[in-house]
Amino acid sequence: MCSMLSTGVSGLMAFQQSLDTISHNISNASTPGYSRQTVNLSAAMPQFSGGGYIGSGVNATTVTRAYDDIVAGQVRSSSSAKSQWDAYSSMADQVNNLLGDSSTGLSSNLQSFFNAFQSVANSPASSSERQVLLSQAQTLTNQLKAYGARLTELDAQVNSQLNSEANAVSGLAQSIAQLNAQITAAAGRGGNPPNDMLDQRDKLIDDLSTHINVSTVKQDDGSVNVFVGSGQSLVIAGTAAKLTATTDPYDVTRTTLSLQTGNSSTTDITNALTGGGTVGGLLSVRSQVLDPARSALGQVAVTLTDLVNNQQNAGMDLRGAAGANMFSVGSVDVLNNRANSTNTSPTVTRSNVSALTGSNYLLTKTASGWTMQDAATGANVTLSGAGTVGSPFVAAGISIVVNGSEATGDRYLIKPTTAAVASMNVTLTDPSGVAAAAPIIAAASSTNTGNASITPGVVLNASNAQLRSTVTIQFLSPTTYTTDGGTTTNTYTAGQAIALNGWQVNITGTPATGDTFTVKDNSTGTGDNRNALLMANLLNKNYVSGGTKSVNDLVGTWVADIGVKSNQAQTSLSIQTSLYNDNIAAQQGVSGVNIDEEGANLLRYQQAYTAAAQVIAASNRIFDSLMQAVT
Amino acid sequence: MRISTSMMHLNAVNAMLQRQSAVAKTQSEVSSGLRVQKPSDDPVAAVKIMQLQQAKSANTQYGTNITSATTRLQQEEQALSDSQDILQRVHELAVKANSSALSSSDRQSIATELGELNKQLANVANRKDANGEFLFSGLSSSTQPFARNASNQMTYSGDGGSRAVQIGAAQYVQDGDSGSDTFVNIPQGNGTFVLNGGSTNTGTGVIAGSVQNSANWVPDDYTLTFTSPTSWTVTDSSANVVSSGTNYVAGTAITFNGVQVSVTGAPAAGDTFGIAQSRSQDVFKTIDALTAAMSTGQGDDAGKAKFQNQINQVMQQLDSTESHLSNVRTSVGARLSMLTNVESSRQDASVQIDSSVSAIAGSDFAEASSRLAQQLVSLQAAQQSYVKVAQLSLFNYL
Repeated sequence: MCSMLSTGVSGLMAFQQSLDTISHNISNASTPGYSRQTVNLSAAMPQFSGGGYIGSGVNATTVTRAYDDIVAGQVRSSSSAKSQWDAYSSMADQVNNLLGDSSTGLSSNLQSFFNAFQSVANSPASSSERQVLLSQAQTLTNQLKAYGARLTELDAQVNSQLNSEANAVSGLAQSIAQLNAQITAAAGRGGNPPNDMLDQRDKLIDDLSTHINVSTVKQDDGSVNVFVGSGQSLVIAGTAAKLTATTDPYDVTRTTLSLQTGNSSTTDITNALTGGGTVGGLLSVRSQVLDPARSALGQVAVTLTDLVNNQQNAGMDLRGAAGANMFSVGSVDVLNNRANSTNTSPTVTRSNVSALTGSNYLLTKTASGWTMQDAATGANVTLSGAGTVGSPFVAAGISIVVNGSEATGDRYLIKPTTAAVASMNVTLTDPSGVAAAAPIIAAASSTNTGNASITPGVVLNASNAQLRSTVTIQFLSPTTYTTDGGTTTNTYTAGQAIALNGWQVNITGTPATGDTFTVKDNSTGTGDNRNALLMANLLNKNYVSGGTKSVNDLVGTWVADIGVKSNQAQTSLSIQTSLYNDNIAAQQGVSGVNIDEEGANLLRYQQAYTAAAQVIAASNRIFDSLMQAVT
Repeated sequence: MRISTSMMHLNAVNAMLQRQSAVAKTQSEVSSGLRVQKPSDDPVAAVKIMQLQQAKSANTQYGTNITSATTRLQQEEQALSDSQDILQRVHELAVKANSSALSSSDRQSIATELGELNKQLANVANRKDANGEFLFSGLSSSTQPFARNASNQMTYSGDGGSRAVQIGAAQYVQDGDSGSDTFVNIPQGNGTFVLNGGSTNTGTGVIAGSVQNSANWVPDDYTLTFTSPTSWTVTDSSANVVSSGTNYVAGTAITFNGVQVSVTGAPAAGDTFGIAQSRSQDVFKTIDALTAAMSTGQGDDAGKAKFQNQINQVMQQLDSTESHLSNVRTSVGARLSMLTNVESSRQDASVQIDSSVSAIAGSDFAEASSRLAQQLVSLQAAQQSYVKVAQLSLFNYL
């Protein structure tokens, strides 16, 4: 009877605990990171009496949480990937939106600019058409600069976000370390798991994984070690390292991330962090979308400037002078590595715009000389020349002159086009300066008796000093001619080009003996539009990449590239989101609280509790019966 | 599978959010009428649209160019038509002058009118277009093309260039003709040679001629000299005798180097006639020559013959000039008609581009609105099922 009473009491206590836990579960049904808990019941050790083992009730052994490490790991990796694509696609979308409206887009402004050349060609002497052209040039420049400025702004946004991410990661690491310490201490008491602390810590690691890709290793004492990037330790038991925002060795305006343990020096781990989380998304959108977009935009500006300026130089303006440059762009950006021994930089110029690639390059002084790599891919780029003024290094459209005082190990980052747009300007302000005319004109003499005709002529080399000197082509016979009274007799073939002094003309037909043709200065040619027509067709002139791509193609590639990346990011985000949702569902399937289930358990333990109370009552009545029998 | 209560809510909310974002996207597609609004919507289509819109913009510019070229060519055609009218009158006057029954005052008044006509023609040739550029000075469009020099010779100060205007991707049209091509470079005589009578001739010989075989013609300036009224020699510019004959009977053919000339009337010993290779002569000089011939009197028979030789040369030159101007005008007309054709196909192309753009970028309204309806139904279903499921709880019955 004594045992009946104590058995009943053990049931009361065990069910009490179960009911407590159920209430705890119900209360935390909506708590993020909470894992449902269950009281594990087991039968108490039986007592031996002559009749055999008599049960002595129930024991509530432990309270455990429903938690699956594998499922939790899956949730973390998918939430890490989801936040990565979230950060990536929201940044890529901003670039994408920039190019959104086709009616105000870059391609439409480019076309308007080149259309303005056509209008100048229609009436070359009209200053209003020339003024419109210059306004279009300004509009185009403004738009290129606005794009450049917006991309720079987005780059700055990435930097400031990386700063706040570093703080968030460090804060979370600190909290995880503290909880690790508390868990180790609590687990030491009585051997029961401190479920709610574990939940809190695991929730913090979940949060951390949205910022940065993490891997965890569980320790026997209940603590968890957290590693980031390619295995750098962020939290070891109760100690946390700090993720700090540092600056790029080449570019002080660019944020990089470094790990600092205690008071030791920082280690740059930026390149290892691209794998996941918001940090990974920001770093990869910077290197895959923003950097290429900026250098490609620069390439558009540089190529446009080169084409238009060259054609301007080959022409003649309304006053009869050689055409001056219409645009100016920023020069090549050369960035010194912070660790370099000297503060001097090589002089880098764009020597061949049509060979520029849009890539950035890393120039290194090694013991055996200079080497250059593509900054993004690391591929070696062969340098020709000696790096001197007389024979500069030439590769990928740029030429490099080093000053010789650099030490082995000195490195330089060369950005051939990135800085071009920011300082782009329209340098031609005078409408008369538009070089619509060609500087030379060829004509047949009016006393010619043959039927040969001559083309007006095209300029091959505008810098030839003799370009505009008068040259007479005189036919000694219908098949031979001399130029400018020279003694060399040339053989005439109808239609064949005659090139001299930087120009080229074609004579067709049959000239008569004594016929003359004159190529002379076109300084009175205010109605000439030959150069304007050439200008008008520059937009689609195949020029870069070995003469296979036009400015228009560059813009098309630029837009398509950004569109594709943004589109891919959106697709990846939606895939990762649904994967994340599946994993969360699986995780909730294990750890989540179901109110109906708890309700059923509530009923079950309530009834069990009532029954246990009845056992005590029964035991009391049995005792009373005995007492009455005795008295 | 166990479902946690919070997951049940979360799933339902996620489902509703997803459907709402789909509805929003379709709604924006329907309201804007555009399937591709940003490059990421369809990168390939976005670039294609960009190219098509550029093509449209270039096409519109070609339209402007066509209008500009048409205007300029119409102005040129008007000028050419005016020039032809003037030459027509000059021709009439030349014919009138050729009739023998004219008094000296008649001739004087013809000379005066010719002077005026010549000035009128110069005004036409110096006309400017709407932009203030000279129509007929070639590329030197701000230089006045025709002016008389100190010795009253009309000189051309423009150049021989002409301007092309782009009217298609690889199509250009000349928007004018230079003054040298229009008014200056007109072949003399019959295009092979030009005949004239010597200024000191004392006989009454009048020369005429034609080309028999142009392949045998050797371009040079020949002189037919009568050493006596019936003996003649033809010498070239180096005084080499090319042909000679005796017992010449007026009106019979003298043939050399593929050409044939004949002299009517009675040439005197020492009379010369030029058979010069054809060069170019401007229209003003032709009228000047006629004016000069009118001003000098005819006098005796020798004078009449001299006048006849002159007027014959002028008449032939007028024919040549008129046919030259008519050729230029035909070429202008051909260019204008080509511009009309190009403009009409340009407009077709523009419509074609628009329809391509809308085919690529445009939304299919029927499809999009039925998709929108479907998405709305599915959003409603998600909302309704959520409300029903959320109400279920065991605690309702405890």
